Amino acid sequence: MGAYNTIAFDAEKCDGCGDCMTACATAKTGTTEISRSRIQIAGNAAEGFELALCRQCGDPKCVTVCPAGALGKDYASGVIDWDGGKCVDCLLCTVGCAYAGIALDAGTGHVAKCDMCDGAPACVPACPHGALKLVTTSRIYNEVGNWEDLFAPGLAGCQGCNTELLMRHTLRRVGPETVLATPPGCVPGMGSVGFNGTTGTKVPVFHPLLTNTAAMLAGIKRQYKRVGREVNALAIAGDGGASDVGFQSLSGAAERNEQILFMVVDNEGYMNTGMQRSSCTPYGAWTSTTPVGQGSGGMPSQGKTQDAKNLPLIMVNHRCEYVATASTAYMEDLYDKLDKAIQASKRGFAYLHVYSPCTTGWRFPTDQNMEVARKAVETNFVMLWEYNPRDGLQFTRPVDQPLPVTEYLKAMGRFRHLSPDQISHIQGKVVENLAFVKQMAQRQSA
Amino acid sequence: MEQTKYLVVGSSHAALEAVTAIRMHDTEGSLMLLTRDPHLPYSPTVLPYVVSGRSAPDAIFLRDEKFFARQKVQLKRGTALKALHVERNAAELADGSEIAYEKVLLATGASPAIPPIPGIDTVSYHVLRTLDDATKLNAAIKQSKQAVVLGAGLVGMHAAENLVKAGARVTIVEMAKQLTDGYFDTTAAGLIEKAFTDNGATILTGSRVVKLEPSAVGAKLTLENGTALEADLLLVATGVRPNMDFLAGSRVEQDKGILVGDSMQTSVANVWSAGDCAQARGFFTDAKVMNAILPDAAEQGRIAGMAMAGDPGLKAYPGGVPLNTYHFFGRHAISVGSSRVPEGGEVVTRFDEASGRYLKAIFKDGCLLGIYGVNEFFDGGVMCQLILRRVDLSAVKERFLANPLATGRELMSKLWR
Amino acid sequence: MTTAILETPNPTKPAKQKVVLCEGNEAAALGVALARPDMVAVYPITPQSSLVEHVAKLIADGRMDADIVDAEGEHSVLSVLQGGALAGARTYTATCGPGLAFMFEPYFRTSGMRLPIVMSIVTRDGITPQSVWGGHQDAMTVREVGWVQVYCETVQEVLDTTIMAFKIAEHHDVMLPVNVCLDGNYLSYGTSRVELPDQAEVDAFMGVKDVNWHVALDPLRPMAVDPLTGGSGGKGPSTFVRYRKGQCRGMQNSLRVIEEIHEEWAQRFGRRFAPLVEEYRLDGADYAIMTLGSMTGAAKDAVDEARDAGKKVGLIKIKTFSPFPVEALLKSLDKVQALGVVDRSVGFRWNCGPMYQETMGVLYRLGRHIPSMSFIGGLAGADITVGHFHRVIDATEGLLTNPAPIEPVWLNEKD
Repeated sequence: MGAYNTIAFDAEKCDGCGDCMTACATAKTGTTEISRSRIQIAGNAAEGFELALCRQCGDPKCVTVCPAGALGKDYASGVIDWDGGKCVDCLLCTVGCAYAGIALDAGTGHVAKCDMCDGAPACVPACPHGALKLVTTSRIYNEVGNWEDLFAPGLAGCQGCNTELLMRHTLRRVGPETVLATPPGCVPGMGSVGFNGTTGTKVPVFHPLLTNTAAMLAGIKRQYKRVGREVNALAIAGDGGASDVGFQSLSGAAERNEQILFMVVDNEGYMNTGMQRSSCTPYGAWTSTTPVGQGSGGMPSQGKTQDAKNLPLIMVNHRCEYVATASTAYMEDLYDKLDKAIQASKRGFAYLHVYSPCTTGWRFPTDQNMEVARKAVETNFVMLWEYNPRDGLQFTRPVDQPLPVTEYLKAMGRFRHLSPDQISHIQGKVVENLAFVKQMAQRQSA
Repeated sequence: MEQTKYLVVGSSHAALEAVTAIRMHDTEGSLMLLTRDPHLPYSPTVLPYVVSGRSAPDAIFLRDEKFFARQKVQLKRGTALKALHVERNAAELADGSEIAYEKVLLATGASPAIPPIPGIDTVSYHVLRTLDDATKLNAAIKQSKQAVVLGAGLVGMHAAENLVKAGARVTIVEMAKQLTDGYFDTTAAGLIEKAFTDNGATILTGSRVVKLEPSAVGAKLTLENGTALEADLLLVATGVRPNMDFLAGSRVEQDKGILVGDSMQTSVANVWSAGDCAQARGFFTDAKVMNAILPDAAEQGRIAGMAMAGDPGLKAYPGGVPLNTYHFFGRHAISVGSSRVPEGGEVVTRFDEASGRYLKAIFKDGCLLGIYGVNEFFDGGVMCQLILRRVDLSAVKERFLANPLATGRELMSKLWR
Repeated sequence: MTTAILETPNPTKPAKQKVVLCEGNEAAALGVALARPDMVAVYPITPQSSLVEHVAKLIADGRMDADIVDAEGEHSVLSVLQGGALAGARTYTATCGPGLAFMFEPYFRTSGMRLPIVMSIVTRDGITPQSVWGGHQDAMTVREVGWVQVYCETVQEVLDTTIMAFKIAEHHDVMLPVNVCLDGNYLSYGTSRVELPDQAEVDAFMGVKDVNWHVALDPLRPMAVDPLTGGSGGKGPSTFVRYRKGQCRGMQNSLRVIEEIHEEWAQRFGRRFAPLVEEYRLDGADYAIMTLGSMTGAAKDAVDEARDAGKKVGLIKIKTFSPFPVEALLKSLDKVQALGVVDRSVGFRWNCGPMYQETMGVLYRLGRHIPSMSFIGGLAGADITVGHFHRVIDATEGLLTNPAPIEPVWLNEKD
């Protein structure tokens, strides 16, 4: 059994207009009687709107309580199908379902439920507020699910960290014919190279120095190329090692166009060693080496006083085969880029910069990782784009109406101390960075 | 002697859910399923629709042979359990052979209870529990001109409606003071009764048959009050009794059914029981009750399977909540939860005679205990969750009663999110 | 740069040797080419530059089939080679002075990973004071890091030792990186007649390449290379000790292997070099001077002259400095009554030359007291002449009668 496409509901965006119900009733009954819609919005403006819709459960109770064999899960589509020819209208399914996902259609006297409209639900495009979304990442997860997970179980990441997800998915995609470099940082901290004679992966893996990841991988790749073997050279590195002390070897390998896939997991600091500042740490952020305090001479210490180095843009200026930024909140985008990066790494240097929020170091609740990652993009604090020498730089998920950067900043504790001046500095930098990248995009597409 | 790690006896909802649950945790352990029925698994609940002709007898099976092959289950049909020898973990079959098991689930269901009416063994009558019963009854209904149904439970009522629709004169004889006693209250029962009488049926509640004898038509019934009835088709639907004769003389504790704990284990090691033959804790009472309904059978079967396989995800059985749905002459009735009003409890009813819509809800301390509706659709599954989770509805009670459908959905959506 | 062939092959043995005229850096490059590495990584630095230029040209001309990586610094140079070695490559590079200092991080690690990388150190003095000239300070500074370090005396020895170094490094009982040290200026640019072994003969000498039989980054036999060890619990401490002890055992094994391989080299190619410690006119000597590297030529001349003048002086030359050849040196020291040690670098901690300091440790094991003194000369490209060595010989002779001075003698102090 795999993952399936699903209709996601964002209650905060729903204003109860009922357009989804009208669309469903129209599509399924030929009427506009919203009581016959298979998607039902309940609630009110004061307390918010709620959803009753079939969840297409993996372990569907409606199916188990049907005495007639009229309900069954289609494991290809994930949809729980209703067979009107077998149904005896006993309504037991409605007693089984805890989500009100299958209910009596008074117009027919039979139960009715969402059938996902053969993959193109009528309700989703009908929503004028974007409260309904067809999440189609299942294709990716199913595909990935068929590939072997090349990391050992039980990597010891912090609670709520998405790096393990990133590592596992990346290595699954790159595959077993890979030599993996994980320089000192969170990734080996989780156990990628193992401890005392154990290993964390099923592929050959090593700790390079924090400083020489790209160089060691280059040596490995070159030797396999020399003997005619197709072996992928993959780095999963942190931002500190890549942007600071490891930058020279990274830049050198990029300049030599070594056939490497270099992934940076950017959590904006030296999080594994206790949350110290790196050159990728953004302005104003608290870290353990840019702490917040009274300072002296009336000058309070208010976090980092410099802006972050934009490492991916620097890599663009190496004219690498491929450079892209990505976020774990946008897995389809990430996978698309990962595929391109893998292909590009067969020709030359491919660089993938993944923004990865750190629950521990950024100080936000452990269930908020994806939300923080998403907010970074929605505010344009982080921009998702890709570059190759032929097509130049292009945005992959442009955000035309960005949220104010405060929406991002307030999601975590490392920015809690910011003064209004600091916030406006950050907002100004967001605008400036966007303009800069836009300029590059225009220049290179011209 | 044949050996198996898991032996499941029975082939309806409890047994099938147990098989699925076992296989979720133990994909390899040998698993054998015995059923006395010669057919593939089906639900007794669907049988009234076989009787009415709505369901084709060959289209009601819940699983096919491929399912059992895929799940590595050895299916033995037409194989009845004769005795369970718990002291040596062996099941003795009708043919005298034995199967050694490590763990056994008794999901043997129930059989029609035949009332000890004088002369009952001198007449021919129908019952409805098996597919073969249903196909026989289906054939008989087409011939019937005057039929008598003993028992006004859901099985009897279903059959009576089919007989009415087939054109027979139908009389329903029920000992209790109302129809569908135990499922629906007097008001609801009145609505059901009216639907039947409007369609020409005769309802004799509070009536008891004291004598049965053969007659030219078929059978002659004599009631307590002296009334005599003639029937060319007699259906005995006066309830069921659990199938547990095979435990005679065993150490497995029994009451009205096989007594089980909160993971469906019996009083004897390696023996579990679930479904209509089991007697488990009720949700509203610590006493062990018979809650012979389909959703509970499925739930009990799942719990028993998880317990047998040692699945650490097992959560204790919360106790049975009565859940019933009933369709009659184009109308529907749903009952969820307790029908008993406890001390300090509150009963709210709403009845619209014109539309025939009836709603009754029982609350205690702001929490829902039971809800009943006729022609008033609400999501039974949602109501059941509100009851199980003891959700305090004080703040929304008015809205809830005015529109249990929308309010229930709103509450549950919030709870799930 | 084409090597001039001066003579036809030597008629005696072996049959196919050519003779060329070249500087030490070119000799090293020719030795590297004959050893057939898969990968060389280079970054230029004085006085090593012409060495890597020769290597690059050999590759460009098709006389050497290796992947050359022009890395962006010495740190990456060695890192690339570590990667290559872990994928099975025979690897080579050269550096010196500041370049060696810059590559220290991966340099330290190479021995721990037991990678048989060969690296020439075209020795250069340490900065600051700023200088680009020869001196042993660079190699001496990293003598405690688990690399085998051998010092050459002549251009021919540079060529021959460079080839032998690969075989020593890759020997299964050793599996350690090897530095072939050739003196900056004096050997790097010193041009001399060199016998060039035949490729097929060298191939036969080298045998089958087997670089990463023990540790590898290879999808065909996946392993975690260098997982976290140590700490104070579980298998941590014992695992770390096992690795460290293994390195030390490899170092000690190398003393035997170096001798064996030098002997094999002499058998095959007819040139015999003292593998660990060379004794020169030591028999019958009352006292000895000790040398390292190219200075030995002038020292030997001075010893010859002193002998002619009736002085009972001999010479002990160290070839293998790391591991320090304690047993071999003990045998030599046992023959004399006083010792003068000439270093081309400074030991800041003991206010003497590093080789002198090491030798003190050996003298302790001799079981009797020998007066000794430290001479420091040839720093930053300075010449240690025959005249300087006469001063060394005279001062050492004085130890037989006078108390030994505490301070070292700085030979070029008044040049």
